[in-house]
Amino acid sequence: MSQVFHEIEKKIITSLKETSKQTPENLEKSTNLSPDQIRRGIEWLKLKDLAIVAESKTSLLSLGKNGIEAFEKGLPERRLLDALKDGPKKLAELQKQLGPIFGPAMGLARKNEWVEASSEQISLGKIPSELPGEKILKNIGTNKISKDQINENELSGLLKRPDFIVEEIVKTKEISLTTSAKSIELSESSGAIDVEAKVPEVFVARTHPLKDTIDEIREIFVTLGFSEIIGNMTQSSFWNFDALFTPQDHPARELQDTFYLDKISAKKIGNPEQIKKVSESHKKNWRYQWDINEARKMVLRTHTTCVTIKHLAENKPDEARVFSLGRVFRNEKVSYKHLVEFNQIEGVVVGKNATLRDLMGIQREFYKRIGITKIKFWPTFFPYTEPSLQTMVYNDRLGKWVELFGMGIFRPEVTKPLGITKPVLAWGGGIERIAMLKYGLDDVREFYNNNLDWLRSATKCQ
Amino acid sequence: MPVVELSYSRLQKLIGKASKKQISESLPFLGLDIESEDKDLVRIEYSPNRPDYSTDFGIALGMQGLLGLKTGAIKLNIKKSKQYAISVKSDVAKIRPFVTGIVAKNGKIDDKIIKQLMAMQEDLHFGIGRKRKKSSIGIHDLDKIVFPLTYKTTDRNHKFIPLNSEKELSISQILETTDVGKDYGNLLANSKKMPLIVDANQYTVSFPPIINAAVTTVTTKTKNLFVEVTGINKADAEDMLSVVATILQSAGFSLESVQISGSQNSSPKLEPKKMKVNPILVNQILGLNLNPAKIISSLKKSRLDAIKKGKEIECTIPAYRFDIFGPMDLVEEVALGYGIQNLEPQLSPSQTIGQTNSISQNLKSLSNIMVGLGYLEALNSSLTSKRVLYEMANREDSQTISVQDSKSQEHTILRDSILPGLLENLSRNIHESYPQKLFETGSVFSLENPITEKTNLSCVSVHKDANFTEIKSVLNSLLKIGTGKEIETVAEEHSVFEKGHSATIKFENKKIGIIGEINEKIKENYKIRDPVIGFEISLSDSILKSF
Repeated sequence: MSQVFHEIEKKIITSLKETSKQTPENLEKSTNLSPDQIRRGIEWLKLKDLAIVAESKTSLLSLGKNGIEAFEKGLPERRLLDALKDGPKKLAELQKQLGPIFGPAMGLARKNEWVEASSEQISLGKIPSELPGEKILKNIGTNKISKDQINENELSGLLKRPDFIVEEIVKTKEISLTTSAKSIELSESSGAIDVEAKVPEVFVARTHPLKDTIDEIREIFVTLGFSEIIGNMTQSSFWNFDALFTPQDHPARELQDTFYLDKISAKKIGNPEQIKKVSESHKKNWRYQWDINEARKMVLRTHTTCVTIKHLAENKPDEARVFSLGRVFRNEKVSYKHLVEFNQIEGVVVGKNATLRDLMGIQREFYKRIGITKIKFWPTFFPYTEPSLQTMVYNDRLGKWVELFGMGIFRPEVTKPLGITKPVLAWGGGIERIAMLKYGLDDVREFYNNNLDWLRSATKCQ
Repeated sequence: MPVVELSYSRLQKLIGKASKKQISESLPFLGLDIESEDKDLVRIEYSPNRPDYSTDFGIALGMQGLLGLKTGAIKLNIKKSKQYAISVKSDVAKIRPFVTGIVAKNGKIDDKIIKQLMAMQEDLHFGIGRKRKKSSIGIHDLDKIVFPLTYKTTDRNHKFIPLNSEKELSISQILETTDVGKDYGNLLANSKKMPLIVDANQYTVSFPPIINAAVTTVTTKTKNLFVEVTGINKADAEDMLSVVATILQSAGFSLESVQISGSQNSSPKLEPKKMKVNPILVNQILGLNLNPAKIISSLKKSRLDAIKKGKEIECTIPAYRFDIFGPMDLVEEVALGYGIQNLEPQLSPSQTIGQTNSISQNLKSLSNIMVGLGYLEALNSSLTSKRVLYEMANREDSQTISVQDSKSQEHTILRDSILPGLLENLSRNIHESYPQKLFETGSVFSLENPITEKTNLSCVSVHKDANFTEIKSVLNSLLKIGTGKEIETVAEEHSVFEKGHSATIKFENKKIGIIGEINEKIKENYKIRDPVIGFEISLSDSILKSF
């Protein structure tokens, strides 16, 4: 027997085994359950095919105003006969004693020869021990009685009399057990619970799905031998642009792409040697008047590369693997594709034997670990790397190639002025894009909407 | 990135012997991204360092190389001519000192070519011209001009019929009423005198860098072209001219020289430059083992010339390839000619041991404890608005850090607190089931030296029985697990909290944050019915380190 019963179901089954057909009201009394518990229990048993609910229409009888009076004081004809018990009486006297009921009572009594009437007086005739209708009155009394429990011939007399009997039609339910239910041995399933039933939802507390993706990416690069460095989101233009060989009149530096902080300039942007060498490289290669005040302007970093280049300029390592991960900013219109603030990872490998193929190998390994195997590399352009590539990954859900990380080798025009002598492989890109693939999102804004419904239910799809 | 619209059938004609499929598959390996395709039309995104790719002529040259149909450098054949000259007056020196130019003859001009030339001109103006500041270009119908020309200055009352106009306008009117005048007039704002190119009969040819005269407009009836470039330095102006010259030659025009003299100006040579690259560097950077012959053939596929010179390879770089600064750029040209798809990625063993930054590590442990306490992690932008940060959260706006000209009203100032953002999050979730508990860690900003960034933690809880005790318990448990020490809460009013239900958090006798029951007014602002409790603390290095 695999079936398990709730306590309510057990009580209903037990009661129905004793009395086979019961109305819900009866079951309430026999089981001591509330109407709501009975209702639910019957529903459950019905779904399991263990109970039958038969609905029927019943005619219920109760006494009307005159019927109640007759029940309390006797039928008018009975009251007439009672008044004659002690001997014959004069018509006028009886009329006075009995009031309005005298007429109908007298008519009925004479018709049935219960009284004999002469011109002077009225006396008793042959009287049956029980008058027609009296039994029904007694049966109904102050209750409601089903019509089929009463003799119809007897009833017809009373039904003809005004306001004696009130008849109403009601729907009734009768519960009975099905054949299979009758064979249930309740003792067998006692103590077990219904493990298959549906349960209410509980909401988990969790870290943010985007943070989970960030942690996953961080961990992959740590296991590939990279150390994490962190830096400020507010940076001088010097480190965000100048040190990366982006000329001061370059369109990428303009207000429309970059968030410049209002009326804030950096006092110290680098050591004099760095400033001198960087400015010379700009003047020579880009042929313009380099302006230190332009380099002092504070910006919200447009990439995390400013953090790594500063780290390399300060430490000048011969051999290193470092990465930086954090928020970057672009002055763009917010849309399903673009945010003004998003996360970027950016890493570098420094080493005398570092090659472009190594850089591609690190990318391929990274993608493999986040579950992306279909990748290819295309040439591209960045102002501070040469050669420059971008990764394209195939997205099955979208059915197309999607651009992910960019990469390249830092230009000598970037490294030389800062005293970095070994080749520097660099790569980087947005994290939200990867997280969108992971969580199957089409709108990047969802990550920052803090919509509880999504946060509580977001699941990985890749 | 700039975009150019091309047609496959035209490209096929220009390239010769290439299928549509071959072209479409090879475009990315020239560094060109296909943005969209519609039958014969294709929109291509190209890099701003390759303005020669702004026309199908330039792309065809590159594609011929990549497919091995025509390799080696494109040579400019410029016929020396004494017919065309520009003399420069010394008074332009202070405004826009340099002019250069070339003549292109006997070409066929149709609507498509005009469209391509216009697009190229726009791109050159925007990119290497730095919005016409560094250099700008004018393309004219040669046969409408009587040489020699003079590059000189004039005053703002000078009148001529500018392009797209039917009547004469003065320079002042042009600057005030036309679109180009309004867009680029600022380049001349510091000068009383205006630069002008006039022909032998004193008719205006061009008012650089703003607009040409209408009379020289190029139409489908034009056969011969005159191109002039003006700029603030000679090299930039000649770079721009070299792109136009190369494109016009590949479009079928014959080039003829223009003599330029006066005030430090001289005739352009547009000669290729020589540069050496060592095969060792090529192989070291690419991780390959290519012999010099293979390197040379790869460079030729990138439309450069190369020969072996001792141990090195000497390249001849056409003038229009001014994006090549040094040997490293040549390494990239080798890679492109060799084919990026032929480079096999390799995973070399790491010589270093990786490590997570301790701050990231500690923040992660702290977040895990917050999750254990039943809090869901939220993420908000650190660039937010006055409305969220101050108005809705009932806070004083003190020294705000704003960004200039944000395109989004919701992102105009850097946050100095995380709590207001979380309150806004609650207001967006009033239809979701309760209790709602959120936390966030992140940077907050203050105006010190010049800007200081600190890491804060904030959390909020809302449900019908929320009260001060609950939130203090959460704070206490968190810091006790981290540091093993108790916090103190000292009664003090804070505008975000309800009077008498508000405190300052002290840890080891230092104020580290605030805690309390959120003010009724804020709840009303955000239409939140149930009680809201919360705190925000600054995670100093010593606190963070203990997690």
